[in-house]
Amino acid sequence: MTLIGVPGRTGGIAVVRRLAGHLARGLVMILVVTTISFLIIRNIPGDPMAAKYEKLVEQGMSPEAAQQAVNVLYGFMPTGSMWEQYLDYMKGLARLDLGQSLTVPGTGVSTVLMSAAKWTLIPVLAGTLLSFVVGIILGVYAAIKRQGKLGDLLAISGSLLHGVPQYVLALLLGAIFTTLIPILPAGGTADIMFEPGLNAGYIGSLVQHATLPVVTYALASYGGWILAMKSSVVTVLGDDFILAAELRGMKRSIIFRYIARNAILPLFTILALSLGLLFGGAIFIERIFNYPGLGLMLIDSITGRDYALMGGAFLLITVAIIIANIAADLLYTVIDPRVRSGGEAA
Amino acid sequence: MSVTDKRAPGVRISDLSVVYRTQAGELPAVRGVDLELVPGTITGVVGESGSGKSTLALSLLNAVQPPGRISSGSVEIDGLGDVVSLTGDNLRKARGRHVGYVFQAAQNSLNPLKTVGKQLLDLGRSHDVDDLPGLVKEARSLLDRMGMDGARVLDSHQHELSGGMRQRVGIMLALVLNAHIVVLDEPTTALDMITQATILRIIREVHEERGLTTLVITHDLGVVAEIADRLAVMYGGRLVEQGPTREVLGAPKHPYTRGLLQAIPRLVGDIDEARALPGRPPTLGTIPPDGCVFRERCAVRMDVCETGEPPVLTIGPRIVACHAEAGEREPESEPAEEPEKETVTTGPVRGEEQA
Repeated sequence: MTLIGVPGRTGGIAVVRRLAGHLARGLVMILVVTTISFLIIRNIPGDPMAAKYEKLVEQGMSPEAAQQAVNVLYGFMPTGSMWEQYLDYMKGLARLDLGQSLTVPGTGVSTVLMSAAKWTLIPVLAGTLLSFVVGIILGVYAAIKRQGKLGDLLAISGSLLHGVPQYVLALLLGAIFTTLIPILPAGGTADIMFEPGLNAGYIGSLVQHATLPVVTYALASYGGWILAMKSSVVTVLGDDFILAAELRGMKRSIIFRYIARNAILPLFTILALSLGLLFGGAIFIERIFNYPGLGLMLIDSITGRDYALMGGAFLLITVAIIIANIAADLLYTVIDPRVRSGGEAA
Repeated sequence: MSVTDKRAPGVRISDLSVVYRTQAGELPAVRGVDLELVPGTITGVVGESGSGKSTLALSLLNAVQPPGRISSGSVEIDGLGDVVSLTGDNLRKARGRHVGYVFQAAQNSLNPLKTVGKQLLDLGRSHDVDDLPGLVKEARSLLDRMGMDGARVLDSHQHELSGGMRQRVGIMLALVLNAHIVVLDEPTTALDMITQATILRIIREVHEERGLTTLVITHDLGVVAEIADRLAVMYGGRLVEQGPTREVLGAPKHPYTRGLLQAIPRLVGDIDEARALPGRPPTLGTIPPDGCVFRERCAVRMDVCETGEPPVLTIGPRIVACHAEAGEREPESEPAEEPEKETVTTGPVRGEEQA
């Protein structure tokens, strides 16, 4: 009969201990991922500077001049063995220096990442949250009305949108809203006629340009949410405590809240992870709508053999996912009392 | 909310049938059940899994879950009327206020995300209780009464409570709105022997202190023998025998009841004395539509059992539905040899001429 812990006091220590464990594990994972991505990237055939150098020589430049031109163009030249390069890279990382970008010569990787990140984070975050909210609400209805037509319709819409690849959706919406009914811009972030800044014209143009990427992203992820929420609600509906609450004469609104809160719980993990995945960008969508986010930047860095930028992007994705995981775990200690007290008892 | 309210209500279940919709059509899970819960008594309903006893219990709150539905009959509760005809908010308010329902201990009858206390407040708000502090006080005293630290339990989540504690919380929630009819579905299943004994003692004591009318559903004859005043035996959706617990257990009249008692191993003596009933209980799909539901496993089976509905014999305080029992009595029934009043009704167990 000593199962009752005192949540307030022991809870705080447990959270700190969990956090410390997570951070330590996260650091190890970052180390492993950076090492692996370093090895893979450096072993991809092709070298942007060698390619440039050869091109210049072919154009009739002397080897020395060509070498100098390349050096000037890119600002530096990797020398030394793979091992030395690795150590240099890690030392740089320790100082939070991600190196120099090659595709955007003369710019630090972190600067390039930052400028691309804002074009990914805001639209994709908006798309994710939009689809999450809509998917959750409709998922509840799909579960409650699962015997009827409305429920079937909602579930089918979920399966359909979940099954259609993002790029098909993007092309379809693009074709409809930029060609058939040309009401939205086909690409870019804003019209160049507007001065970037806090003026109505520029912001309006931003919103207009972001609409298609956001809607595409929201539609593409909506299917997953509605299906996950539906199955979660159906599971909770079968739980004993729902029938028990009904037999105790609880109000419908209260029972509904019991169902919703219990059903949404497992979805927070998926939400946290998808927020982490945000940093990988929405490659297809950004490519199709020519939106200069992280996904597009990643493609450019790969085609341009920009090792430093690739490494930086991978690092960003890794760190984001690890942080998202930690955040999800900490979130559970807040919203689920069973996690809070360690969950020893059934 | 006085604890000394001794006006225990009675419950009369008449001709109750519950069907479940399946691919093979609507199949009866409970058929033509007549049962009276005498005010202030504990009635035990025993039966195997699938005998329809839990469905019967849910019928008391008109809470049979889809795809099941009550197809006929009534459940009259004093001061409330026929529960079967209640709908909407009236039905919801009857649940909890008039009839308390206690779940099987193994089941998780509490919202895992909320403390017991918060769920108690939800319950109070659902039933428009104005004096919420009073409700909490009542709950705490009930929990204290059942041997727990009430304040602490109200602050706990379900996962912080043991099976026996959860069961007592379930009893508290069933009684806290001052319901005077309590239905306990398998109250001691999945509890260890010591806790079982404790829970049974608590049920008995609380029943007497608060002046309740109690229905206990169980598969355990031992539980019934321990606490029930009256006993009803269910088989294949039918009540085959009922009467005062001691009389039924001491001299069972229905071959099924006899079989059940013979199957219990004794603590002393030869283990082989216990004899299991041959065969299996029927499932929803295999309950025979005509004749006696028990005939497949019956030791005293006759030809008439195949086709004829067993007659319902009322022998004093006891009721038996069996052809063999009727056959034994009929030839020599008229002489005043039998001191007890006896009526023989044929056909399906119907609500007799009483009100």
